[in-house]
Amino acid sequence: MGTRLDWLHGIFPALVTPFDPKTEEIDEEAYRRLIRHVLPYVDGVVTSGTTGEFPYLTRAEQRRLVEIAREEVGEKKVIAGCGASGTAQALALAQDAREAGADAILVVTPYFLHPSDKEVYQHFYDIATRVDIPLILYNIPQVVDAVLPRNVVEDLADLPNVVGLKDSSGDLTYTLEILEYTGDRIDVLVGHDEVVIAALAAGVSGMILASAQVYPEIWREVYRRVREGRLEEARALQRRVQKLSRIFCRHGGGVAVKAALNMIGIPVGPPRRPLKSAGGALIHETRAEIQLELEKLGKIRAEEEPIEYPGGPLEARFGDLELTPEAIRAHGLRLGTGSAGEGVNRVQLDLVAGRKETPLGDAYALQLTYPLHGREALTTILEPGLTVRPATLLLPTLPQKNLRQANMIYGPTQAALARAIVDALEAGIVPPSAADEDVMIVLATVHPKALDRHALYRNVYQAARAAIEQAYAPAR
Amino acid sequence: MGYKTDWFRGIYPALVTPFTRDDRLDEEAYRRLIRYVLPHVNGVVPCGTTGEFSYMTLEERQRAIEVCLDEVNGRAPVLAGTGCPSTRETIQLTRWARDAGVTGVLVVAPYYLKPTFNEVYDHFRALDSLGVPIVIYNIPQCAGTHFRWWTAEGMLLDLENVVGIKDSSGDVPFLEALFEKVKGQVGIFVGHDEIVQAALAAGCDGAILASANLIPDIWQTIYRATLEGDLATAQEWQAKIQKLVRIVATCGPTQAVKEGLEMIGIPVGVSRHPILRGGSFRREDYEELRMQLEILGKIPQAEVVYDLGGRQVTTRVAATPHTPRHVSGWTLRVGEGFAGPPFHEIAHVDLLIGRRDGPVGRAVARAMEGWGGERGLRIISERPLILLVPTVTLRTARQRQLFYDFAAEGILMAVRQNIENGFLPEAALDDLALIVNAFVHPAASIGRRVMLNNYKATVQALRKAIEGRPTLEQLFEERASARHPFRYAP
Repeated sequence: MGTRLDWLHGIFPALVTPFDPKTEEIDEEAYRRLIRHVLPYVDGVVTSGTTGEFPYLTRAEQRRLVEIAREEVGEKKVIAGCGASGTAQALALAQDAREAGADAILVVTPYFLHPSDKEVYQHFYDIATRVDIPLILYNIPQVVDAVLPRNVVEDLADLPNVVGLKDSSGDLTYTLEILEYTGDRIDVLVGHDEVVIAALAAGVSGMILASAQVYPEIWREVYRRVREGRLEEARALQRRVQKLSRIFCRHGGGVAVKAALNMIGIPVGPPRRPLKSAGGALIHETRAEIQLELEKLGKIRAEEEPIEYPGGPLEARFGDLELTPEAIRAHGLRLGTGSAGEGVNRVQLDLVAGRKETPLGDAYALQLTYPLHGREALTTILEPGLTVRPATLLLPTLPQKNLRQANMIYGPTQAALARAIVDALEAGIVPPSAADEDVMIVLATVHPKALDRHALYRNVYQAARAAIEQAYAPAR
Repeated sequence: MGYKTDWFRGIYPALVTPFTRDDRLDEEAYRRLIRYVLPHVNGVVPCGTTGEFSYMTLEERQRAIEVCLDEVNGRAPVLAGTGCPSTRETIQLTRWARDAGVTGVLVVAPYYLKPTFNEVYDHFRALDSLGVPIVIYNIPQCAGTHFRWWTAEGMLLDLENVVGIKDSSGDVPFLEALFEKVKGQVGIFVGHDEIVQAALAAGCDGAILASANLIPDIWQTIYRATLEGDLATAQEWQAKIQKLVRIVATCGPTQAVKEGLEMIGIPVGVSRHPILRGGSFRREDYEELRMQLEILGKIPQAEVVYDLGGRQVTTRVAATPHTPRHVSGWTLRVGEGFAGPPFHEIAHVDLLIGRRDGPVGRAVARAMEGWGGERGLRIISERPLILLVPTVTLRTARQRQLFYDFAAEGILMAVRQNIENGFLPEAALDDLALIVNAFVHPAASIGRRVMLNNYKATVQALRKAIEGRPTLEQLFEERASARHPFRYAP
């Protein structure tokens, strides 16, 4: 019969393993700082889990992490990740963990050679019967490429040392099936940051999460409120961190968590190779997205950036394109402006349109030769391969400081502008002849903090429609 | 006990079903298509997967099969697709086809509700009583069920009227198991265009192929060379068409084949919805398919006049119905191209082409007199004059290497190729200037992919600028379905 531990509930961050940026050696001081950072909010910590890059750690390193954690956590608990693809290695790690003072071990489904059910069972059986330490089973098909079979868990739950299962699959049908068959014998912990509330409501005992080292206090509150039956409040709390949790789960894992920790002043260095700090599984655009989400949570101080929307006479706003009011009048260029939205979602578009033979044609060609860092002009497209007509350049008025900001311009802003142009053409607001004969340049002012892509799309569409209607109004 | 027939061998195109603009069966186009393929093939398949059988009513399938039978007129076997999700409808259509005089029927594994092996077996057993030769059809990528070799073996050897199997899975171990179990007793056809030469060499009796609508003659060459034991010739041809058939097999075969046929002058309309232009068969796939057909000499040549403002240049190019025969407006023509994956090695090219004495030429001159050097601009060709501009500021030595060595080489490859094929006519090179603004992601790694993606993106951008694509009609048709890749949150 499995045993329940009296302490296996609550919040357990799956700690990253800090490395020195140059040598890739474990940075022990950074590890201690990380543990002290999370300790007030958690019930224990997990060393060398998936987030801790365990497959890249030596046996000696994993033992050292347990020792450090033991020294730092005081009365709280240390769960030692003891994952390996082979049974002998897992046994050795489990023995080390016990000697180094771990309170329990976390053992992942054996991976790489895809053992069968009976081989998987024997793996866990050997560890649970040969090393006397509480054992938590660990299902994470995203990296193991196999699900820990429920019928194997059912039998393992009868072993005295097997005390729990961590389910990182995010597959609630699996979680509920495990609860159904073993919930009376062992504790189930959720390991997928995106489904915490649902899993807690379904009856899991706690959580082992990567994100619990970035916002442990939020998970603490979510946990408490679900237990008190205050689900509305718990949902609202989880919604605040849903996007970040999704990024941690699906867009870079431990790498993304490390990026976040480095941003909030808990330096943990880079991952070990072949993983890249950014530009691999964690793309630069998403890294910038993490930064903004952390600002929203108040984890990073947000720089106030008052921005100025272009004002004054419309015809004087195109000086950067070498289009003076006189030239605009002399060549009969069409102008329009539109704005929409409030606060950081406010956008303003100033548009100039006219025939290719006018100085606007020269301005158009010149812009594509003029890469001004952060203010690159791009051809407006509905999607790659669907260039709008009249050919239109989209030019941000404010410098784009990172790829996320650039992404807001060259993503939702561009898509909405493109749609507005094609709609206006189909509605006859822009005459068909203009499709070949004209070009347009649109100066777009989008707040650097704009985050809501859907709102941005809507506002740009509305502003663009107004600007186009003004420019192509029949009575000019 | 199944048996092996003489007629079930060789190359069979899985005919597309032409539709008119108002979405009815286009019988005339269907007949033209059959006349185009018939001299090169051993049989035809109306209403297969490529024929969009799953989007057609039973009546429409019957009519298509009738037209096919009439046009073929006994000159080749007609193997009609009669599979439906339910046994009841499959029997109904198969009985009709038998009475209409088809040579055999091609029956797909019953799909969608995922019947178990014994249910699939009994489905075919029920058909067996109709007395018409049956080819069972394994296509797990669409049907969602994959025969195991033991199921196939049972159906092939137990049922009296089964004459063979078509396997479109591309799963070579499965094919090898079939050779082991049933070779010589029934016909074994491959249906996956990418592995045909290997499958024929390994022992397949023939192939039923989507791409055999487009290149029936080349498939016949490969088939015959293999029969004669000339593997070198067969391999050489398969390698020549590999890119083409990969596009057809993996990028939405119905639309790919239909747009390909349009390019070579056999208009058959478009696929039925939900399949769209620019959907699974993406715009970049269109351009690549076109280039492959062009290289194989399948796209007819036409004269095109470039009106360069006071001077006309005539050129001969491989022209599709969308290539204008007269191109003016060389003040400024705009084209854009995109190619990927992988993500970090995508290429996005904004291209301007125009007269040297117009806005493009003037901009090139001003840029090089002014900020060109300090901002990393380079003239990479004098004839035509080409200014290469990095979209994103190059910060590291690696980024500069990827941009100037790899991206630039890809762009030049595209230009050289289009000089050779006439889209950039020699006589116009002194008049023309280009600005190529190319995006290389700061985190790009794989140089060769950067080069090839920039080559592809530049071909697209150049052709689109010259031909004035996308057309307004296309923009209006696709504006609602457009999915901008950077529009959504992570």
